[in-house]
Amino acid sequence: MVFSFIFLPLLIAACLPLIGKVSKKLIPDVLTNAALAFLLLNSILLIKPVFTRGSLLQNITWFGENVNLQVALDGFNLFMLFTIALVSLCITLFSIDYLKHYGYQANFYALLLVMVAGMNGLVLVPDLFSVYLFLEVAAIASYALVAFGLGPEELEASFKYLMLSVVASAFVLLSITIIFGLTGSLSFQAVARGLQDLDGGGLIIGICLAFFIMGFGLKAALVPFHAWLPDAHPSAPAPISAMLSGLLIKVSGVYALFRFIYSVVGMTPALSKVLMAMGTISIVVAALLALGQNDIKRMLAYSSISQVGYIILGLAIATPLGIAGGLFHLFNHAVAKGLLFLNSGSIQHITGTRNLNELGGLGKKVPLTAGTNLIGALSIAGVPPLAGFWSKLIIIIALVQAKHFGYALIAVLASILTLWYYLLIQRKAFFGPLNDRWLKIKEAPFWMSAANVILALLCLLVGIFFTPVFKIWISPAAEALARGVQQVLMWGI
Amino acid sequence: MSNLWFLYVFFSALLIFTGIYCLLTMRNLIKLFIAVEVISKGVSLVIIATGAVKNSILLAQSLAITYIVVEVSLVATALALIINIYKKNKSLDIRSLSKLKG
Amino acid sequence: MIIQILLLSGLVIFSILAILLKDLLKAALSLAVASLFLGIIFFRLGAPYAGVFEISVVAGLITVLFALTVALTRKDSEVQEARLTRLVFPLFFIIFLIIDALVMKSFLQQVPALPAGPETGTFGEVLWKSRTFDLVAQLGVILAGVLAVLALFRKKEEDKDE
Repeated sequence: MVFSFIFLPLLIAACLPLIGKVSKKLIPDVLTNAALAFLLLNSILLIKPVFTRGSLLQNITWFGENVNLQVALDGFNLFMLFTIALVSLCITLFSIDYLKHYGYQANFYALLLVMVAGMNGLVLVPDLFSVYLFLEVAAIASYALVAFGLGPEELEASFKYLMLSVVASAFVLLSITIIFGLTGSLSFQAVARGLQDLDGGGLIIGICLAFFIMGFGLKAALVPFHAWLPDAHPSAPAPISAMLSGLLIKVSGVYALFRFIYSVVGMTPALSKVLMAMGTISIVVAALLALGQNDIKRMLAYSSISQVGYIILGLAIATPLGIAGGLFHLFNHAVAKGLLFLNSGSIQHITGTRNLNELGGLGKKVPLTAGTNLIGALSIAGVPPLAGFWSKLIIIIALVQAKHFGYALIAVLASILTLWYYLLIQRKAFFGPLNDRWLKIKEAPFWMSAANVILALLCLLVGIFFTPVFKIWISPAAEALARGVQQVLMWGI
Repeated sequence: MSNLWFLYVFFSALLIFTGIYCLLTMRNLIKLFIAVEVISKGVSLVIIATGAVKNSILLAQSLAITYIVVEVSLVATALALIINIYKKNKSLDIRSLSKLKG
Repeated sequence: MIIQILLLSGLVIFSILAILLKDLLKAALSLAVASLFLGIIFFRLGAPYAGVFEISVVAGLITVLFALTVALTRKDSEVQEARLTRLVFPLFFIIFLIIDALVMKSFLQQVPALPAGPETGTFGEVLWKSRTFDLVAQLGVILAGVLAVLALFRKKEEDKDE
């Protein structure tokens, strides 16, 4: 059952180009959405077995022969699987109407499904080299998707993204190889055990970690390595921007980095300090850069860098509460940033521009788009009672508990900055006098609005029912990570 | 035995340095991609050398082959991008791509 | 040992040529020669399959792809590189070489003795039995590459109003 997360999207993606020859629109739409809905259902069904047993290991055999197809599932990666399935389902719902701009649906969906398969695989495999491979699967699909419009800007952004990302993954693979050399194996468990038994070699492991932080930091767009993101994310079609900002940077950057650090290498105080400093720099620098942007999507992209800084700050505190806060913020940001990027697609569909200075007064004409945008923006900015408020609050409480008062203060101040630039979007796009150009505009088509509304409701409901959600859903995931290396050693492969 | 390993790591560090130098300074898109290829040669040299020194050459071989497959896929995608960029700009100069400000 | 060092030096020299040569076609060819050297090194390290792959796929297929791209983009695509780039390179390279040598020398003592049990079985068994997931991921990578090329080279007629 767990394997369907990898095989089903791949299988459908392989068939789609052929199906696209027969039916241009209907069948690819239905098939893609059905597949992602199935995966969402599947991840919900897995909650009970995984949480009661702590972790779940599955093997499949090939005609009775033992082959090494093995996945390991615990609270942390189940949480990621659920987030991936949920957000990507909303994104494909949105794409049903949005793709009229681009044409060639079948191929688009196929690439999107390959990307989903890559992310699911990355999350599921308990093996260093396979993590690298699935990282590449998702990345190659994303290069093509960023360039999907084939305009000069898209192509340029995609090329830049490709170059930096290839170097990043080369460094990741290099340090995986060195760890392979030190411990003689590649599976999480054996590597974790090998590193514990290793005496000496601290310097080399330090270098490996530096490479990991560089490589995955580039994928997650931490600040010294962020240059590609403000180009790549806005240039892509809106659903892909939502996919990249909402999911890909978190899965291939944050998830992979922290899985390695917590479950394989083991967290140390020095590492925690370095990551917290990097996270904080990201928060502040990207928030300041976001203020100066006129393009909605560029502003959202800078905001993504800033929010990923929060997630990393939370996860790097290395207390259970901090990890829980980081993961909760990861989920909230995936939902809200997905919503905002989709919403910017709606705005572009309605008006044909993304320039904030040309918009204005849209709120009266398109209340649904304006309302959902407001909810998403306030959630990310951290206004109660929306979901983003609680996760930021937890991160700040965790910082105070761990006696990092300086970081806590910066986190609070930066969140005010966040609120400021999101209100800037609201004021320039939706409030104020209506520009004469927009007198005849109509609300976005059904599926686009539906996807926006679903995600906005999630922001609202998770905020209101924050206690049960946190207790049932976030805490087990955080516990799995907080147990550190023990968690992996417990798997008993 | 691990002296030998450092010999290979030494050479692959040279390759990776050469590639990164080129990535940072050159302007021709195809040249940039040749630099990526040079970096990936360095990485696959480390993979095989590690396997050979640690007596797990069979495992290292399968990793290297998988890596080559990834490389082919990447090269195809990147070259398709380059050809598309050339069609749009009629130039392979990275400076002709300055519509985005980073 | 000496042959091995010569081969490794050849690999590095041809890689540097691939980067420094002005003519792109020649650069692609020296990249292929570098691959050839790497393939021979793989053979000598006891990795014949990887060597065959390196020579046939990287030296062969990828060079063909590069040559094709160069041919397709040949017309008035002269790119003026900064002259300083080539002149300064040897300097940086020698500095890095010295640093590299010093770092590796200081590491020599610090690496713990490594557990290395001899492997059993054949290459095919290892690939199939212990790296099965990699085969699945390889399928994914190939699929992604094919779809990416299809998407980037799609016909204009299928592009609707944009």
